[in-house]
Amino acid sequence: MIELLGIEEKTYTLNLGPQHPSTHGVLRVLLEMDGEFIIKAEPVIGYGHRGHEHMAENRNYTQFLPNLARVDYLHALAYNQCYCMAVEKLLDLKVPERAEYIRVITCELNRLTSHLLWFGAYLMDLGAFTPFLYCFDDREHLLDLLDGLTGSRLTYCFFRFGGVPVDIDADFVAGCRAFVSRLRSRWDDYHNLVTKNVIFIHRTRDVGIITRDQCIKYGITGPNLRGSGIPYDIRKSEPYSAYPEFDFEIPIGSNGDIYDRYIVRLAEMEQSLRIIEQACNKLPDGPIMAEKVPKRIKPPVGEVYQAVETARGEFGMYIVSQGDVKPYRIKLRTPSFANMSIFPEMAQDNLVADLVANLGSIDVVIPEIDR
Amino acid sequence: MLKDNLIKALAPLNLEKVAEGDYAKTGYHLEVAALPAQLPDVAQAMLAAGCFLESFTAVDLNEAFDLVYHFASFDELCRTAVHLPLGKKKGMPTISHIYPGADWYEREVFDLFGIHFFNHPNLKRLLLPEDADFHPLLKDFGASQGND
Repeated sequence: MIELLGIEEKTYTLNLGPQHPSTHGVLRVLLEMDGEFIIKAEPVIGYGHRGHEHMAENRNYTQFLPNLARVDYLHALAYNQCYCMAVEKLLDLKVPERAEYIRVITCELNRLTSHLLWFGAYLMDLGAFTPFLYCFDDREHLLDLLDGLTGSRLTYCFFRFGGVPVDIDADFVAGCRAFVSRLRSRWDDYHNLVTKNVIFIHRTRDVGIITRDQCIKYGITGPNLRGSGIPYDIRKSEPYSAYPEFDFEIPIGSNGDIYDRYIVRLAEMEQSLRIIEQACNKLPDGPIMAEKVPKRIKPPVGEVYQAVETARGEFGMYIVSQGDVKPYRIKLRTPSFANMSIFPEMAQDNLVADLVANLGSIDVVIPEIDR
Repeated sequence: MLKDNLIKALAPLNLEKVAEGDYAKTGYHLEVAALPAQLPDVAQAMLAAGCFLESFTAVDLNEAFDLVYHFASFDELCRTAVHLPLGKKKGMPTISHIYPGADWYEREVFDLFGIHFFNHPNLKRLLLPEDADFHPLLKDFGASQGND
């Protein structure tokens, strides 16, 4: 029709994904372009939809435990913990202190693996290959540590209702301590390689700015929110587990651009190291499982909302129990889902070259969006 | 206190229930029950108080739906749960013009439960394929049903 009228078509559609290295999974973005500028970006999601919420309604509470690690495969333990805490709340179970400490240590180790992977993969997106090799070297030590304790390298399912199944030993604690000092000795390398790199600074400064107002309207959480200068971290704002016993800070940015989000994630890794260090020093003795854990998990009628801070932001779990051995309804509020919904607004009127920089900077995990 | 401010802000809306929640048990500081038509006003009051939309979902209670909106705040620990009863085959007003983040949540609920949202700018399936003809989170949908 346009051709018939003799009018030149000015815009065109560009398809990005679903198989594209910088979409980190199966995400498709439909772009309407005017030259190199994006007029409209529409994410198409759901390629990895496995129906976890539906599965939850068809199995008992314990059987659903391993599912959580498949929702966010990069910070599986936080999801594990959230589910355990929600069910413990429904059952009114008290978790022993030592178990809480073990949960915190392993969760923070897992957060480090997630941030380290983001660091490497994101810089690969921007065209820098070397940092990837550095951080994967470091990450490997973490995976070995967690592998020795939990038996898996990625999709951990380590926590149980009422505590943890295996106690940590002196070797594990020594391994944690060794890793803390190892990663600390690497910060200089990281900053010299990346943070002070002029190409990196030019590609990230004043790009992809998220404002405070946008954060409220879209429900942005995690490092994306803190990069915009809002000190909201569930570990502090709604303290859970043993976190109130540790001294750590919430790093925040000021501009809300990609560079700030990068700085926040790097600073957060150091805070995780501080938590692990303190937890190893103060590790209490005692049991690792609650005393009266029912053999058959059958919570009373009720509902609960439990939130934890994962590497990407707030993961919330809404469980409705009707007194059955199966949950009546489980809703997974995943951080990447909310964080991704702002993407059309971020990409609009920007260059296509910044699209990958923007997308990577919000650190999305696609299976977590699709569930 | 945000909780008291919210109770004050919600008072003129004549809602069915605005009560303090049992935080230790449910994780809510404030529990609200309202009718679907009142939702945009509730959302407006929440936004004015600086709260963000934490989560939104539906629960299929067989004879009706229970819609649950969770709001929280970045400044103060205060979670509000808003429950709305909705009859089967009834629609909901959208709040995506108030909270743009609700856009995807509403599309998801439309996708998985088949609930229609009036005036939604782009109400189409979000997670399932465009040509799916089922709503998997309805209780009468079996585990192995659906087109493969």
